[in-house]
Amino acid sequence: MSPFNIHGVSVSNGIAIGKAHLISNALLEVVRYHIIEKEIPNEVKRLTGAINDVRKDLLKIKKQLQKNSSEEFSAFIDTHLMILVDKNFSEKPKIIIREDSCNAEWALKKQMDIFVRKFEKIKDEYIKERKNDVIQVVERILKVLLGHPRQTSQINNESSSILVAHDISPADALQFKKHNYAAFLTDMGGSTSHTAILARSLNIPSIVALQNARNLIKNNEQIIVDGNQGIVIVNPSKYILEEYQVRQNLWGIEQKKLSKIKNIKCKTLNNEKIELLANIEVPSDIASVKENGASGIGLFRTEFLFMNRKDLPNEEEQFEIYKSVTKSMSGKTVVIRTLDSGADKLTSADTTISSNPALGLRAIRLCLSEPQLFNIQLRAILKASQFGKIKILIPMLSSLSELRQTKLLIERAKKSLSNEKTLYDKNIKIGGMIEVPAVAINAEVFAQELDFLSIGTNDLIQYTLAIDRTDDRVSHLYNSLHPAILKLINITIKAGNKHNKEVSICGEMAGDSKLTKLLLGMGLKHFSMHPSRILSVKKQVLNSNTQKLATLSTKVLKAKESEIIETLINKINQ
Amino acid sequence: MIRRKVKIINKLGLHARASSKLTQLACTFSSEIFLIKDNDKVNAKSIMEVLMLAASKNTVISLEATGVDEKEAITSIESLFTNYFGEGD
Repeated sequence: MSPFNIHGVSVSNGIAIGKAHLISNALLEVVRYHIIEKEIPNEVKRLTGAINDVRKDLLKIKKQLQKNSSEEFSAFIDTHLMILVDKNFSEKPKIIIREDSCNAEWALKKQMDIFVRKFEKIKDEYIKERKNDVIQVVERILKVLLGHPRQTSQINNESSSILVAHDISPADALQFKKHNYAAFLTDMGGSTSHTAILARSLNIPSIVALQNARNLIKNNEQIIVDGNQGIVIVNPSKYILEEYQVRQNLWGIEQKKLSKIKNIKCKTLNNEKIELLANIEVPSDIASVKENGASGIGLFRTEFLFMNRKDLPNEEEQFEIYKSVTKSMSGKTVVIRTLDSGADKLTSADTTISSNPALGLRAIRLCLSEPQLFNIQLRAILKASQFGKIKILIPMLSSLSELRQTKLLIERAKKSLSNEKTLYDKNIKIGGMIEVPAVAINAEVFAQELDFLSIGTNDLIQYTLAIDRTDDRVSHLYNSLHPAILKLINITIKAGNKHNKEVSICGEMAGDSKLTKLLLGMGLKHFSMHPSRILSVKKQVLNSNTQKLATLSTKVLKAKESEIIETLINKINQ
Repeated sequence: MIRRKVKIINKLGLHARASSKLTQLACTFSSEIFLIKDNDKVNAKSIMEVLMLAASKNTVISLEATGVDEKEAITSIESLFTNYFGEGD
């Protein structure tokens, strides 16, 4: 077989070399055959049996899921179960078997095609996608009818098999978790797909959106997965294979080396102390914060507390969580960001949907319009502050009056706690997110009124360039190296330094090791990022001289186009 | 038989989770329950039919219930719609 490459979207880094393990696409195997009159009742029975088996499988999976409390997946399984027992879905194929004297597989597929065609006509993109749920349920039944293994337990446990599938359903994802796959490849999916989430949690490379890989790759073919570049090499030549074995080793050594710098003090060559903090979303992220030697938590997102539930978290519940995170960081900084979601996430709040949610009633705007809700969170944070070094971070400030109102509410919450003789940190630091361009331009004013500033580059870029990153049609225009972005970051850092206030970046730019030296040159001393990025950023810090970098950064800030900026950054990194 | 008009106000319309909730609720009543949108009339107890109705946000549909518990059925299903299917979106 001659070698060939397939390009996709990498959703999890690393390099894997192994044999392809194709997850069957049962739909492709369905053929029609004739069933003689007297066999028809048996054929119907065969279908009923298969549907029952799948039902039992799904119930079993659901039970497992409830143990692992993954609510999101569990809801999917519920929908699948309901589709399965729907008479339109399960009874019609039986009629088709009788009318067409055909086999159960064919009847099932014929009925599915009718559904899929109907779904295709639906204009609403979201509901249209539900056809995939129907297809996934049909796939499951077909696998039983065709005698394919439904559980993946027969798969060899070798760590060198690479899973190749058209798509991974949530139910599949759970089963694959138990097997030692070296990498995941799928035709479908994006960076937020089940495949992506699963691969990252297992720390194995994964490439998705490969279009037709499932058909192009054959079982047991040798493949190289380059998750760093999003390339799959099928049947590599001896030369390429050797090259990649070297690269894989280097990647492994690199990862090991990185783990060795974990306990080294984070200082530049000219002895400047740099703080590398972690962003976390849920308390269980603490494990990886410690594993990577973060000097604290630079961003604790509190949205998880409000999601996937019908009611709002009360003060006690919030307090317990803030307290446990703070205690487990034993005295290290924990920056808690107040609620940063839109009204659509809250059941009790006003749920009028704005046509432009990113610019609508969200974050601090929502909290100020729902002072009671905000007060509960503020009190919970303040109460937890007696157990460590908590700082409060206000998201999406756009004017000074918002900041003043917020400070007033914090003062009120403090007063009520004092009246109740409840302990809290009286000198708790209050910081603001710099993510609205208006605030970055005016950073000096905010630096005077706040204790620290934290630049949220993801939103800052989105708002400055007017790009919706989730819109595929414009997402390629999203550019962190746009000269205007670097200017806004520079203004903010200078404003903080002038007024002696800490400035950090907590957006994705902070975790991009290619940008570390540039940011150091611009005078940034605090970086907050996904825990997995800390060591590679630290490596850059240890090899930097901020005095030398300052001159180079000035040059970058003068550049007029991002292409030139990119070239200059490559030079800085050499 | 009772008929009542409801407006779909949640962001995603009758998507999978909302449809599941609606079907689950409908199945708890003995009355026959239908959803009517333009010329389509679907059985509220069938998730496939409800999904295929493709009712998105701001669509007005009619609920129709016939049977001994038709009143309770209509009232509880109507409140599911007005409560954004309990999802707040």
